[in-house]
Amino acid sequence: MRKLLLLTFSAIMFGSSLFGAGTPPSFTVGWSVYVGWDPYQYMVRSGILQKWADKYSVAIKVQRFDYAPSLDAFVAKNIDACTMTNMEALDMPAAAGVDTTAVIVGDYSNGNDAVLVRHNRPLNQVPGQRVLLVEKTVSQYLFERAMTLNNLAAELKRVKYVNTSDSDIAGAFLGDTSQEVVVTWKPLVSQILKGKGITSIFDSSKIPGEILDLLVVRTEVLNRPDGSGQRFAKAVVGAWYELLAQMSKAGPDGDKVLSAVAAVSEDTLASYREQLSTTHMFYTPQSAVEMASSQQLKTTMELVRQFCFSHGLLGEKTSSADDVAIRFPDGSIQGKKERVRLRFDSSYMQMAAGGKL
Amino acid sequence: MSVLQIHAQPGKTTVWTLSWFLFAVGITAYFWVSSQRHIENPDDRVMPTLRQMGQGVVDAALKPAEEDQGVGDADQQSILTRFRHGMLWKDTEATGRRFFISMAVLFPAVLIGLHMGMFPYVGTFFLRFVLFFDKIVALSLLPILFIAFGIDELAKVMLIVIGVAPTIILDAFNLTRSVPREQIVKGFTLGASDFSVTYRIVFKQILPRVLNSIRLNLKAVMLFLFAGEMIASTDGLAYRIALLRRHMGMDTIIPYVLWVALLLFLVDLGMRLLNRQLHPWFREA
Repeated sequence: MRKLLLLTFSAIMFGSSLFGAGTPPSFTVGWSVYVGWDPYQYMVRSGILQKWADKYSVAIKVQRFDYAPSLDAFVAKNIDACTMTNMEALDMPAAAGVDTTAVIVGDYSNGNDAVLVRHNRPLNQVPGQRVLLVEKTVSQYLFERAMTLNNLAAELKRVKYVNTSDSDIAGAFLGDTSQEVVVTWKPLVSQILKGKGITSIFDSSKIPGEILDLLVVRTEVLNRPDGSGQRFAKAVVGAWYELLAQMSKAGPDGDKVLSAVAAVSEDTLASYREQLSTTHMFYTPQSAVEMASSQQLKTTMELVRQFCFSHGLLGEKTSSADDVAIRFPDGSIQGKKERVRLRFDSSYMQMAAGGKL
Repeated sequence: MSVLQIHAQPGKTTVWTLSWFLFAVGITAYFWVSSQRHIENPDDRVMPTLRQMGQGVVDAALKPAEEDQGVGDADQQSILTRFRHGMLWKDTEATGRRFFISMAVLFPAVLIGLHMGMFPYVGTFFLRFVLFFDKIVALSLLPILFIAFGIDELAKVMLIVIGVAPTIILDAFNLTRSVPREQIVKGFTLGASDFSVTYRIVFKQILPRVLNSIRLNLKAVMLFLFAGEMIASTDGLAYRIALLRRHMGMDTIIPYVLWVALLLFLVDLGMRLLNRQLHPWFREA
């Protein structure tokens, strides 16, 4: 018996050492629960990712995080790729000196983020009130854009922000009826709107294309000399658009995929559909490439980087917004040429569009 | 080698070296890794260097907080005025206020415990409920707390009270019970009333131990206070840490954490000295 065990053991050891020689380079993608990112988990479950990983002979692991820890892990270089918004891509990794490349422009928030009030209070009566939100995130960006678009920018000084953790913001606003204004995102928005007498007075559909959801990869990973980083990016992009094509199919086939995607975040098909209705998904690589190479993206990033800079999000020591420069697919740069930290690279999506993956 | 002897008597230098050794290792390891990370990426924010942290401290102490309004030109003012408007002072003030209010609210808990231990009717009335309440994880009931106490100062103080008061009540109760019955009987034979036995014999004896138990609970108080400030707040030390985390401001977070540790240490030391002053006959740590 003991001999048999020993034999098995050595066989396993021999086998694994044999395989070890040919182990494909391994990469980790971090994601957090959000309507536009839930597909990543389904990509693994359905085997689509495995298929593409095999094609490019890389190993890809997908790991779920809470949003803030996923950013921390990416900045600390514990993971190779991560889902995040355009704003966080700029003020977390890029500002911390981690050169970052966006390879997928997945969607933009088209109503997912919203300003909610009690008593139908109009926006011009918000100054002087306390506003519940997670400070220094897209929520604050959305709110300040709302004020600016309504010529109330000068009144911003009179707004009192209450920094409220997103895990408790719904309970805090619903529970404390003396609070008048809250800014947050879905699915929390839907949950809060179920409360009595609460209405939405501004949402991200009024600033379309400004809150973008990306998949970013560390640039040094992409530039690995053995080319494995690029193979990894190709595999992920390929898998992504194969899945998105399935998701966008009308009829029972598409529904089946959608409910499977929803199930990943313990959601129902109806609720997921409702969230998709306020999310502008770029279902085809062509549409994503179009967005990435548009003039609009530059205008957006200019707004975002000025917001980040004026709120100290680029670091206390950063003396100018130009110190964290952004490079666009056409090669143009916002900021100092030698300090490019965030790159939009549409070439992988372009390959997907041209069927070259 | 006498290292593993119970009767060993390390010399003065050895004691000094040994007691600081782990500090030295920790600090060296930190700065070594930090410098490595900065060679690789000069903009690294995860592990700031000593100089960056120093700058972070100066900024935190002297620069007006972002939300502070009505401060004139910073250069015109004296260091003291700038410090008083700096975010470090404002945050410490806000957190300190909440801390001392909750300590004041916690003190009656000692009296409840004392009366529970002395008077059977009070004991039966409270004991079962407090025992049950002590096991409730207050943080998981946040939505209910919001309804009952709002999300402002009251909620933060109540979170601490709900979290820590039962422990202190039960501890005071147990200490009261541990006073020898003979002393109480003796007090009565000497003509003391119920209340003078309670306050002048039992309370005086348990007070130093109760103070110690509050000292041990300081960390719990701080933990609940931090949790409260991170959930919803407009100022305070934990509020700032939560905000700074949003852009990896570790150069300020690390000094903030050390500052909190120092403050807690000072409060603890103050209570220990007070205890010794009030009860010179009490000889436990």
